Amino acid sequence: MLKTSRAQKFIKSKVFILLILLVLEVVVFTILSQGLYVSIINIRNILNSIVITAFLTVGAVLLMVRGYVDISASAVGCFTTMMVATLLAAGMPWPIAILFCLIASGVVGFVNAVLITECGFQPFIVTMAMAQVLKGLQYIIFGTNRIDIKDPTMVALGTQRIGGLVPYTLVLALICIIVYGFILSKTYFGKSIYMIGGNPQAAKLAGFNPKKMAYILFINDSILAGLAGCLLAFRMKAGALDSITNGQFTGMTGAILGGVSFGGGTGGMFGAFIGMLVISGFKTGLTLLAVPPWWMTFGSGALLLFALAFDRFASFRRTKS
Amino acid sequence: MAQETEVKTSVMNNGSQGLTLEVDNISKSFPGVKALQNVSFKATSGKVLALLGENGAGKSTLLKVLSGDIRPDEGEVRINGVPQKFDAPVQAIQAGVSVIYQERQLVPSMSVIENIYCGDLPSTKAGILRKREMKQTAEKIISDFGLDIDPYEKLGRLSTAHQQMVEIMKAYRRDSKIIAFDEPTASLTDTEVTILFDLIKRLKEEGKIILYVSHRLAEIFQITDEIVVLKDGRMVKQLNTAETNEAELIKAMVGRDIGDTYSALKRNDKIGDVLLEVKNLTTDAIHDVSFTLHRGEIVGFAGLVGAGRTEVVRAIFGADPIKSGEVILDGETVHFKQPKDAIEAGIALCPEDRKEQGLIRFRSVQDNVCLPVFQKMKKGLILDRKKQEALTEKAIEKYSIRTPSLEKLVVELSGGNQQKVILGRWTSELLTTKLLILDEPTKGIDVGTKAEIYQILCDLAREGKGVIFISSELPEVINIADTIIVMHNGHVTGTLARADATEEKVMSLAMLD
Repeated sequence: MLKTSRAQKFIKSKVFILLILLVLEVVVFTILSQGLYVSIINIRNILNSIVITAFLTVGAVLLMVRGYVDISASAVGCFTTMMVATLLAAGMPWPIAILFCLIASGVVGFVNAVLITECGFQPFIVTMAMAQVLKGLQYIIFGTNRIDIKDPTMVALGTQRIGGLVPYTLVLALICIIVYGFILSKTYFGKSIYMIGGNPQAAKLAGFNPKKMAYILFINDSILAGLAGCLLAFRMKAGALDSITNGQFTGMTGAILGGVSFGGGTGGMFGAFIGMLVISGFKTGLTLLAVPPWWMTFGSGALLLFALAFDRFASFRRTKS
Repeated sequence: MAQETEVKTSVMNNGSQGLTLEVDNISKSFPGVKALQNVSFKATSGKVLALLGENGAGKSTLLKVLSGDIRPDEGEVRINGVPQKFDAPVQAIQAGVSVIYQERQLVPSMSVIENIYCGDLPSTKAGILRKREMKQTAEKIISDFGLDIDPYEKLGRLSTAHQQMVEIMKAYRRDSKIIAFDEPTASLTDTEVTILFDLIKRLKEEGKIILYVSHRLAEIFQITDEIVVLKDGRMVKQLNTAETNEAELIKAMVGRDIGDTYSALKRNDKIGDVLLEVKNLTTDAIHDVSFTLHRGEIVGFAGLVGAGRTEVVRAIFGADPIKSGEVILDGETVHFKQPKDAIEAGIALCPEDRKEQGLIRFRSVQDNVCLPVFQKMKKGLILDRKKQEALTEKAIEKYSIRTPSLEKLVVELSGGNQQKVILGRWTSELLTTKLLILDEPTKGIDVGTKAEIYQILCDLAREGKGVIFISSELPEVINIADTIIVMHNGHVTGTLARADATEEKVMSLAMLD
């Protein structure tokens, strides 16, 4: 039986194209910034900027492989940023405060899943509505003032670096990507997501449970977003408004760059990670060159469109040959 | 105002008399496959020309060349002697060619009128739709066709047959001179087929060129005038329908004399004890269905489309809720809440709609074979890759599935090979399948592979498994199954042994009032 070698398969994958893009990006910015781009400080900046997005991306990748989407993730993150700060300010011990935040996040995911699986509503609409509900609730419950965090352990977690070099939050983010990447690509659970995402009806008739999977993935996505919110609060040493607005869009952009499709059933965590690096490397590069911030927003959108076009061109060439 | 909305498209156009379509030396290759090799034939107006061949013979590719979907590597298509170069489907349409595919190219959420005009909506200079013109033409076409269809009805609410008629109306409205049908009867009931055939006859009388692709030999004799037989991308011969017979056609298609498929089967002669007993099964769609299946027995379900056969097996499999009644498997009353429970109890279902319910289309052959047994391939935390490969290779060998690799996307295989992938999925050694349910397993599959699938069914019976075989093709049900259960309107209307079953008997039970 004919087998394509792993190397051949990799060269044909979207991830490979993305890696080329990343290398190009590094080369161009390094030249433009006269070497500053590859300094340790800048690389740390790039990695640092993906910490919060990483959690949102990981959840989004799992959902998107299943063929779902969750617009409410950054609203959940904003909500827990304020919630954890409020609970800590009220004197609650940090493990319990975080636990409450994660439970609250999980409840949001559960409600999303109920509305989508039991009532048959569109995920996009349900989670868009949920995002607005949460935004409103956040103002109603926590008000609009900045709430400082003084808990020394959590402030340390948010701001300190291992050996003065690698931030704890970055380590957590990388662990999260590796663990979920492993689950997605190597385990039975991960395979189930691909199979159900590829064709829910066929998967169900072959013994899978698409409904249960929807609950797991939506709850998981919300909890990861809630965790991202808490970590962000610790990093800022405060709960502040609109802290991660549109974070999930950045995450989804990275995922799509890395080959995850909206249709479900394709893509992987490694690609999404590279996708995130490409985006944040791009933004950091522009900052380094003192380009005004609105160019970054413009740029990350344009980058996605460019990558889509490039990939279409490349796969067109492949089928031609 | 009324005069202004002159009906532009002349509906009853007789200007297509004396037309010819020449396919000259067409070749087309895809990576690794020569889909068409020097295919040439000529079709003339007022005749129905059949394109006959097994799956993979090149019929679909040929249709795609004619519809402008793909460009041939060599050769040309001439209409009335004029060479045509189609770069896109729209050019083929403008040249008067319409292809009516199995998958309808219609918009379910739009009205019949809008669908008839789809792709070519008439509008004023300001871009406003000429609704009155559309309505008048649509009504005229519908009445010309002699059908009772409300032009304002949403297309999705029409029956399958009527939807197909709308597709034909679309071609008719464009005044297409050449209309190609790709397996048009695949999902139609007998009455609906009659309507379709009447229509094809009328189009033919109007001087159109009709190309007709089908696997069903009986239809070919009923409706066509000439036959072009394709095999492995080459044209075998072109013959007049009146001067040939079934045996000659099969021989030309398969390249060998298959004789009587049914008598060549190695059947099971040892029927065992009772495996499945269904008592008064009732759901939303079926009423009081009872039957018994023994080990080593093939029970066939016959009936018209919509008789409730699929619903019976879905209920047994736990895919649809049961209202009342009992399912007894191996002497034990079972209640499957979901397919998973049924699979664990040893039941497997190859669903009716391969594409929508059977396959994960954009995943590999390997994923599709291993689908129900991934759970049994855990090695610690991870899934054992080697086990998956070994299992898939076994299935490929067992059923001689034609695929270049394990990683090939299943959507890229032919229909027959896709069906074998699904069969391989349920017969691996990791499952203890006692009862296999096959819902229309030979739908859209070529003659050669059909014979292979019949033998697989018999082999399963010989291994002592129970088999439920649903089919809308009467000859195959009454020749393969040991017992034939006939359904009509959600009820069982009769049970026959193979020795007593004739097409007439089954038909009269299936159409009982």
